Formats: sequence, structure tokens, C-alpha cells
Amino acid sequence: MSELSGNRQDAGQSTTAQPQTPEPSTATTVPGAVPVPAFRLAEVHQSYRPGVESLADVTLQIASGEHVAIVGANGSGKSTLLKILDGLVFPSAGTVEVFGKALTEESVEEPAFRAEFRSRVGFVFQDADVQLFCSNVLDELAFGPLQLGLAEDAVRERVDEVARGLRLEKLLDRAPYTLSGGEKQRVAIGAVLAMRPDVLLMDEPTSALDPRSQVWLLEVISDMKRHGRTVIIATHDLGSAAEFADRMVVLSEEHRICADGTPDEVLDQRDLLLEVNLIHEHAHRHAGRAHQHPHAHGHSHQSE
Amino acid sequence: MIPALAHVGKNPERRPQRRRSLARRTADVVGRAIADLLQNEDHARASGLLQSLDPRVRLATVLVMAVTVSFLHTLPTLALTIIATMVLASASRVSVASFARRVWTTAGFFAVLLSAPAATGWISPGYELLGHGALSITAPGVLVASRLILRVVAGAGIGMLVVWTMRWSDLLGALTALRVPDVIVATLAMTQQQIVSLMRTVENIHLARESRMLATGSTAENRQWVVGRMAFVASKSLKTADEIYDAMLARGFSGHWPTLRRMRMSGRDVLWLAGLVAGCALVLGADRLIAK
Repeated sequence: MSELSGNRQDAGQSTTAQPQTPEPSTATTVPGAVPVPAFRLAEVHQSYRPGVESLADVTLQIASGEHVAIVGANGSGKSTLLKILDGLVFPSAGTVEVFGKALTEESVEEPAFRAEFRSRVGFVFQDADVQLFCSNVLDELAFGPLQLGLAEDAVRERVDEVARGLRLEKLLDRAPYTLSGGEKQRVAIGAVLAMRPDVLLMDEPTSALDPRSQVWLLEVISDMKRHGRTVIIATHDLGSAAEFADRMVVLSEEHRICADGTPDEVLDQRDLLLEVNLIHEHAHRHAGRAHQHPHAHGHSHQSE
Repeated sequence: MIPALAHVGKNPERRPQRRRSLARRTADVVGRAIADLLQNEDHARASGLLQSLDPRVRLATVLVMAVTVSFLHTLPTLALTIIATMVLASASRVSVASFARRVWTTAGFFAVLLSAPAATGWISPGYELLGHGALSITAPGVLVASRLILRVVAGAGIGMLVVWTMRWSDLLGALTALRVPDVIVATLAMTQQQIVSLMRTVENIHLARESRMLATGSTAENRQWVVGRMAFVASKSLKTADEIYDAMLARGFSGHWPTLRRMRMSGRDVLWLAGLVAGCALVLGADRLIAK
């Protein structure tokens, strides 16, 4: 029995051009049993400095296979929440569980827990430059699988597959600093996908992407959805969030969860979105007439 | 062409002689440094002599030649070694003029500065060629200083040439193969990427200032501003280091740095090494003969 007792996926064969996203195994699911959520957070508070909270009283449960968008203005605590989910930052108060097991500083230090946790939860950072620390793209893609202790052939297979899926074959021997912003982001995502995580955490993944690459990313996420993977994305781009997410969690500028529902339910709450600084009143002229309407950054441009 | 480098001209020094702001000058210098780094990547990809050798053999070449140079005493053999590095540069598709300029303006310049006192009668008394007394230039002093300068230029030249013709990943692979500890290889792996990233930050900071300045600013103002920005860059580099470590942890980093790089030495590499050792032995022999 593994340390993390949720549904673990087996390595399968890819049938699409996208990186391999095998079906999750159901071997550990007992018929009739309540499925173990991917994450459960209870009354989580986090502050980097005394008296200044970056997250306040966050209680949240995310089921396996859910696609969740964490939306909020800059500084609302989205990145901190993702880092907590990835065991990089630990809450000042409250509890976090991953696949039914406590996620604490101590548990992350346990080798068996750590190995499985890292193999099941992948994190794409906001700044690709931070995430690309190897000397070339090949090493970057191979880093995670090698850390998992996979055999060299298996690592090469994963690297080839991700490189094919993300159109990185011609970049494999390039140094990351010679790549464009979009290429870096693709490598950063590929480096995480090569670990075949069950849960993918992404921090503002569309911020450095051109429109074509944004569409490509949405296809990658849709592919993950088809294969039952959990995807949690922090963004303030309501347009792309509405496109990929089944559920939207809104963080206020006071670092609290102030809405949690389907994208339609959340996007209908115009006053709330104005209050949390996700949309603003935008005045401009159409055909010579002054015109005012709520405006969201990203794809969406909602007219009343 | 990197958009951020668009402002870096081919010969920015030859622009009309007008006082340029500190921000513009610094941005240009940083931009040129980044361009040089990228050019090195191009050299490393060229199909030249050094590039065709196994990275470990290239490291061994530096080692063997550096040891040889350190044992040479006569000016002709030292000069011969410098000529050999230039021939090697040419065979490795590196512009000899550019190579010589970069070696002499860096290593050569500092070697001249450091060896200058040795050329004087104060350090090396003897037949005075120029001037009189302690500050005169003496014949033994010139010999000592020339030997030092040529030795530094020859040693630095081969080192720089090998680094320019070797991709960073190959260098790390060679170090791994030579059993250099993981922590050193990991640190080096991150270094180049982060240096470029920080250099781009510095460049953008200066360009941002340039775009908002109406005058070039006084020296005192510039000094104060540069000190403030240095503090910012230092703080940013610390924050970036933390974030990189987080990114490594997130991908399961456990203190080891395994890679997929596997190196194989070919007959050509063995031949090169044998020829190199034989050539260096010959030069050392000739040096001893000339010295007698």
C-alpha cells in the first residue's frame, strides 16, 4: 500500500499527440466508498510576516479529477495557496491533507511520502526562468523522472514523448536562456508533465503565452481532463479560467475565499467580481457614443 | 536577435562623440555581454576541430596545455604556444581576430598591469633600457614581464577557447564523468541560466531609467541610483535562488543530480590526446634546449 492512498495512475501508452495522460487506475477504489479528495484544507492561515496574512481562514476540498481555477487579484494569495498545496510552504495555522494524509513539514521529509507525493503532484511555476535550472532542455525534461529513480530507458521514453507532444524535439540541446518566452513556458510545462503527475498545479500559466500557445495549453488541460487528472490553476484571467475549469474559487483582496462555484455561478456575480478587483468599470467609445461596461483582463470581455 | 538587445549596435563605441547617460552605457555593456554569451553558444555548435572531441578530452586538453605552459621558460616556445592556440581557434571555426582581441583585452590587459612592476629596476635590477634608477625599465625586467604576460595569455587563451567551443551542458557532463561532486555540478548548472536572467534584469532596469530621463544626471545622482539598484538586484537574486530551490524540490530534488548524458571516447579522441601529449613533450624539450 502506498503512503498516499488515493487513486494512483499507472504508466500507459499515449495515443494522441499530447504528452501521455494515462487513465487513472481504479484498483484502490472500493465500490460504494467515499472517494478520498485530492486535497482538503481546513481553516488554513498563512503569514510570511507577523500581522500580515497572505491567506486567511481558507477551508477548501478538491476532489480527484476536478478542474479548479483559483481566481483573485494580484496579491490575493493564489500563489501562496498553490505552494501550500505543493508542500513548499506550510500554513501558520490550520491543516492540509493530500489524498487523505496530512501534508506537513514532517511528512514531506519522510522519504517514502515525499517520493510519492512529488511523483503525484506537479507544479508549474509562474516564472519559467525560475523553473528552468538545467543546462539544456533535454536535462530539464529528464530531471523529474530521474529524481523519481526511473530507469534510463523509461526516462528517455518519457522525454521523447513529452518532446513530441509539446513540439520540443528541435530544442532538446538548447540552453533554456536561448529560448523565447513561449518556448520556455512549454519546456516548463513539459518538465512537469514528464513526471506524469495525477495533480497538476499551475500558477498563471497563460501569462507568458501568445494566443496560439494559450489555445495549445487549453488543449493540454482538456486532455488531462479526459484522462481524469486533477488540474488546479491560479489565474486572474477569467476568460481562460472559465474555459477550462469546472469550478471557480475566488480569493478576495483580504486573502479569504469569497466565492466557490461553477464558472457560470461565479461570473454572474458582477458586484463580487468588481469588489475583488477581477473586473473593473471600463469606459470607452463605440461609434461615437460613450459606453461603459465591466471589463475583465484576459480573454473575456463581457458587455452588459 | 533578442528584442532586448536591439539597442546594442555592432560598434557602439564609434557612435558620434556625445555624452551618453550612465543608464544607456550600462545597458549597452550588459547587452553586449549577453550577446557574447549567446555567440559562445553558436561557437559551441559549429563543426570545428575542438567541437568534434569528447568534452572530457577537451577538459584534458586544457589541463595538459596549462601544465605545459607553466613549465615553459623561453619566449619563443611561449609564443609558439600562443600561435598554436590561434591555429586551434581557426580549426574550431572561431574568428582568430576576435579570439585574439578577447584574450588580450581581458587576460593580456591584466597580465600587463600585474607584470609592469617586474619590468622595473626596483624588482629586476640589470641593464637599463629606459630611464634610470628604481623606475627604469631593465633588460632582465622586460624578460621576466614578457614571460609572465605570454604565459598568462597562452594559458588563458586555451582555457577560453575550450570554454567557447563547449556547450555548458557538455562541460557539466564532462565534470560529472570526471566524478566532480553533484553539488558543484548542480550549482554550475544553475549559474549560467541565472546569470543571464539577472543580466537581463539589470539591462532592463537601466533601459527603464533611460526611457524616463530627460538629462544624463550628475555623477553623484548616478552613483546613488546605481547603489540602490545593486541592492535591488542582490535582493532579487536571493529571492530567485529561493524560488529555484522550491522549483527543484517540487520536481523531487533529493540532493543528487543524475543526467542522461553519456559520453564515449572515439579513436579520434585517443589520437588527439596522444598527439597533444607528444606535442607538449616536444615543446618542453625545445624549451629546455633553448634555455641552455
